[in-house]
Amino acid sequence: MTRYVLGRFAQALVVLWAAYTVTFAVLYLLPSDPVALQLGAAGIETDSLTPAQLHAAMAQYGLDRPVLNQYFSHLWGFLHGDFGDSISKQQPVADLIGDRLGPTVALSIAAAALSLVGGLGLAYLAAYVRWRPARLFLTRLPSFGASFPQFFIALLLIQLLSFNLGWLPATGVKGWKSLVMPTITISLLTASMLAQVLMRSFDDTLRQPYIVTARAKGLSRAAVQWRHGFRNALLPALTILGVLVGLTVTSAIVVETVFSRNGLGKLAQEAVLAQDVPVVLAIVSLAAAVFVFVNLLVDLLYPLLDPRIVQGGRRKVASS
Amino acid sequence: MKRRLRSPRPGLIATALAVTAALGLSACGSSGDDGAANDIAGAPVAGGTLKVAFFPDNPTFTCLDPFQTYWIEHRTVIRNVADSLTDQDPKTGEIKPWLAEKWEISADGREYTFHLRDGVTFSDGTPLDAAAVKANFDGDKAVVAETGGTAYGASYILGYDHSEVVDPSTVKIVFSTPNASFLQATSTTNLAIISPASYQKTSKERCLGGYIGSGAFTLASYKPNELTVLKRRPGYAWGSALSENTGEAHLDTVEFSYVAEDSVRTGNLLSGAVDIAWPRNPFTVEDRELITKSGDTVESRPLPGPASVFFPNVTAGRPLADLNVRKALYKAFDLESYAKTVFGADYPVVSGAFDSTTPYFVSQADKLRHDPAGAGKLLDEAGWKLGPDGYRYKDSQKLTLKTPTTTFNVGAELIQDQLKQVGIDLVLDTTTTAELPAKYKNGDYDLASSYFTRADPGALQFILDPAHANSKALATNATTPETLTELTGLFAKAAQTTDPETIKQGYADLQNLLIDQGVSFPQFERVQFAGVSGQVHGFAFTSESFLKLNDVWKQQ
Repeated sequence: MTRYVLGRFAQALVVLWAAYTVTFAVLYLLPSDPVALQLGAAGIETDSLTPAQLHAAMAQYGLDRPVLNQYFSHLWGFLHGDFGDSISKQQPVADLIGDRLGPTVALSIAAAALSLVGGLGLAYLAAYVRWRPARLFLTRLPSFGASFPQFFIALLLIQLLSFNLGWLPATGVKGWKSLVMPTITISLLTASMLAQVLMRSFDDTLRQPYIVTARAKGLSRAAVQWRHGFRNALLPALTILGVLVGLTVTSAIVVETVFSRNGLGKLAQEAVLAQDVPVVLAIVSLAAAVFVFVNLLVDLLYPLLDPRIVQGGRRKVASS
Repeated sequence: MKRRLRSPRPGLIATALAVTAALGLSACGSSGDDGAANDIAGAPVAGGTLKVAFFPDNPTFTCLDPFQTYWIEHRTVIRNVADSLTDQDPKTGEIKPWLAEKWEISADGREYTFHLRDGVTFSDGTPLDAAAVKANFDGDKAVVAETGGTAYGASYILGYDHSEVVDPSTVKIVFSTPNASFLQATSTTNLAIISPASYQKTSKERCLGGYIGSGAFTLASYKPNELTVLKRRPGYAWGSALSENTGEAHLDTVEFSYVAEDSVRTGNLLSGAVDIAWPRNPFTVEDRELITKSGDTVESRPLPGPASVFFPNVTAGRPLADLNVRKALYKAFDLESYAKTVFGADYPVVSGAFDSTTPYFVSQADKLRHDPAGAGKLLDEAGWKLGPDGYRYKDSQKLTLKTPTTTFNVGAELIQDQLKQVGIDLVLDTTTTAELPAKYKNGDYDLASSYFTRADPGALQFILDPAHANSKALATNATTPETLTELTGLFAKAAQTTDPETIKQGYADLQNLLIDQGVSFPQFERVQFAGVSGQVHGFAFTSESFLKLNDVWKQQ
């Protein structure tokens, strides 16, 4: 058990380091001129500078050092919580992220909670209902929910709930009311995915021999599904939980733009458009950290749901 | 991770579309008429919060400092926070007294003496005197040096040498070379006067709102791309005579929010969530209809300065190096149908290198007429023959023009189609704002879109003269050396005289030259729109088409 936990921790750290390194390499080693790029982000055109000015500007952004040197000093800074300065926003990256973290965390948690409730509820219901047309309808719902483009859903919701009915604010971060529509927009996709996986795994689980045994012992369908089916069916759904949390973060980019919420998603979009390298690097690393953390959590939860996993049973669990 | 999602049945899509359509229709019908029209206003009511929804904040340069920022929306904020030495009449373009009661300009145009109004203070209580004005110009000069001349305001104080405090209420600004547009410059937000203490801070701190003005409002907070809050300045009593109300503002608070989606910004106005929707790109025809239908009003005024134009890349080897091809391009553009199709039937048609609100504007409409047959003739003479695919070729080279574009817009596609009619293949090269400088630098384009907001034709030299341009590359590529010499000569002629007739003549010649030599290809007149709630009264544009809040009040 201890070995299992330590192994998972080590793996998480390696993934995190790899994510950081790949991002750094992509941003710094592309066949472009990082100097012109970063100075361009600061609104400075390199050809309008004298060589002396150019050198001073490069020194200001630490671009005059060799790449490896920059990589290690960046990494060292990261480990200390120092993410450098934003090029386009004239302030430290750490401050920027600190300012923008709140709305996105609130949104992610709300969306993850709603997806769990919605996805689990729908799948549970679909597994329980026997009447064919209703069952068919329920199993089709997730594909429907997942096919809608998010910006379209967002604009529809705004049109209906803000402009027509005037119930909710269309933009900004103003208490719980402004959280409702963005949460629904994101959850539609993530809940649908969760429901899909869960429905299929219910299908598999409820065909297992131990279910037949339980039914033969005279337990009601409801009791069997709750006590014997649910826990086992949950495993694959747990596996994609990490992916879903990751999705809420990427969805935040679209959703925060439409709803004018100043969160990390919007910051990411702004930083990419402005090619603000330090900010992009910090956000990608942060997103990777969240992703790794959730997956680690999932890995540690497995043994609680299914002891066979740690005891080296034959069962393989996909870990993204 | 596999996602096996089946696509929904067509029936569902149809239903969804029907639902959307129904929502859209009900939106048109349901916004209540809840405001008196702006013209039946009674006496102004004091108090209240005005909410304004802007276009998103500047993505590449977060800056609210008067001298450094070029962002149009920020300049509206600055106009209400910091006053200027002079004001400009939006109707006549005349320069009027403001912080300066009167001024003298020396015969050689190198010395400007301003006599300041007494009793003006910054909101931190320090007096706005000659020393404060000197601190501003010296501080600005330092910023120019610090940024290698790239600070936006650099163009406004071209040739500035030093200032002299004659007495507490008299300041003399001295130039090393004459700068005839300086008087107009003193009326802009870019040379708004801020407290000397503001210059103790770094230029970055000022960008984030670390400065103090003497305006009718104070800057309470600036959260970039989120919210900017202004509060009424108690005891304000030195508004420009161009406002009805020269004393304290009527409004308690003004909140500027930043909304990316045009439809959401308009919807916010219609639903009463904001009082003024202030878009960057002109409202669509549909949006304007929605706004007027719901009892709100649409205000508009062309922004002064160069219109939205293309500047060519005329370096050797590019198709536009040939003057005849550039002349054909003018005939290929159908500016009238562009204005009508993209912005609506009543939208002004661009008729020169500058917007019609720019002082000294001279219409060039007859040179910009749509004439596809004439364009074809010119291209034939230049050796570009029509191929079987409808495009023109020369030595088996296709006549392809490349234009970088940072946003999707229908206008670009319309232009693409117009050029196709005469056999020119326009490629819309989608790119991010951050990559543009590199594209210009490598000369990897044929037409580059640019504009600039300033009520003075001299503004154009900060796009076209490599010595001052923000993008040296764009300026260098836009003209041949001979044309550039002519251009700089005309700019200098207008800048180094104090005789209004000479200035007028210089700028008229300049506007002719820009079209005759194929330097500037107008696309559309830039119009600043504003959707104003029926509850809001006293709306006014400044001469730079920014929003002035001195007279604005809200029905409670």
